[in-house]
Amino acid sequence: MDDLTLGQRWAFRALFFLLIACIAFAQLLPLDPGPGRLPGPDVMLLLTLAWLLRRPEAVPVTMIALLFLMADFLFMRPPGLWAVIVVIMTEMIRSRASGFRDMSFVVEWLMIAAFITVGTLAHVILQAVFFVDQPALGQTLIRLLATVLCYPLVVAFGARSFGLRKPVSGEFNPLGVRS
Amino acid sequence: MAQSRGPEEDYVAPIRRLLVGGLILVLIAIFLLWRIDSPRAERFRAALVDTVVPQMDWALVPVARAVDLARGFQSYARLAEQNAELRRELRQMQAWREAALQLEQQNAKLLDLNKVRLDPALTKVTGVVLADSGSPFRQSVLLNVGAGRDGIQDGWAVTDGLGLVGRISGVGQSSSRVLLLTDTASRIPVTVQPSGQRAMLAGDNSPLPVLDFIEAPEQVRPGDRVVSSGDGGVFPAGLLVGQVVLANDGRLRLRLSADYERLEFVRVLRSAPADPIDVPQDLIGPRLPAEPLLVQSESEPSDG
Repeated sequence: MDDLTLGQRWAFRALFFLLIACIAFAQLLPLDPGPGRLPGPDVMLLLTLAWLLRRPEAVPVTMIALLFLMADFLFMRPPGLWAVIVVIMTEMIRSRASGFRDMSFVVEWLMIAAFITVGTLAHVILQAVFFVDQPALGQTLIRLLATVLCYPLVVAFGARSFGLRKPVSGEFNPLGVRS
Repeated sequence: MAQSRGPEEDYVAPIRRLLVGGLILVLIAIFLLWRIDSPRAERFRAALVDTVVPQMDWALVPVARAVDLARGFQSYARLAEQNAELRRELRQMQAWREAALQLEQQNAKLLDLNKVRLDPALTKVTGVVLADSGSPFRQSVLLNVGAGRDGIQDGWAVTDGLGLVGRISGVGQSSSRVLLLTDTASRIPVTVQPSGQRAMLAGDNSPLPVLDFIEAPEQVRPGDRVVSSGDGGVFPAGLLVGQVVLANDGRLRLRLSADYERLEFVRVLRSAPADPIDVPQDLIGPRLPAEPLLVQSESEPSDG
């Protein structure tokens, strides 16, 4: 899978960073301050997971940790907690990447849904253990559902816009290297 | 991924594992630090937000206004209808304005007769809403006024001219965060107007915050006006908060007067804490003379 030149790899990393920054910017826009909306999907997490399975070298673990730590600080979450959960989640997925490679999309979606669910529950439980004020469980579950349902959209967006797709095992890239 | 690597990859994997472990430990340490020393961590957060978000100021505000504009275009379809509606409302408002002017004059006269001194410390700073909280679970907005130039302090009340919006919670050099009344962490003491009942207004992440701890709920009716009570010295008293409604779940809730849909400019009310009165004889009247005199004057009645 290390089939990219150094320049391409950094270009993908920069692109990923830019996309995450755009998402953070959109979330910070003061369009509808105040409550009343249903919590939407966690696009930042979806983008990270979708890219992780398609271009793992574009999302190095250090960048994930820094970006999510920054997001924790900016979005008034307990700093570090969600970041550490995401880092552990992505590392587990990364080590199973070869298994993910041959899955059909539906199976991949189910696996990702399982990972996101376990991560979210861990977040809720840890916050409860440390007596952190947290939102109602119902709202967290709605957000979880929205996040899982939006995964195909994020994947389709990556595939359409940047030609992101999973490397098939045994595939040869343009340089003639077996992935 | 790492199974079919060349020999030079074999020492990359352990180093990488070490790096990942280190990252995880650092993140956990940050979380524990925040949990142990929350005020300091929150100050750090405010400083971080203060350096990051105002950098995006040039883009945040125009984009938000542009989206608002686009939404405005969508309502052009029913412009004529809206115009008629507005004219009708304007006629009603003129009648109200007349009434308000008369009442204002009457009030001024009465205040003058009473020799009431309004609190001179209550001045205001107007700020622009820079950014949202970015999370559906946290109800707060970021203002472009901060501790540096405007002297904003934690705990000051924020209104939007119609009603109370929230209070300052977290101040940076050039930005400050307003905790909205609907946030789950927001609790303010209020008075329900005609009956004078004291209550706590507790946010629960829904548009209508809950009125909690009412002394006599049967005296509170939907439609009653609710103002801040000033208990606990957190807020100046008498700021309009909203109207009582009876929600579907049978609890008394509050429809807020502040227009949360259109928070653009808000006012931060400067309030100095009142001087604490902790010595009983300072309560009423001039200071009594020194101790020996006091003893003498007290012994006089027993002689006579």
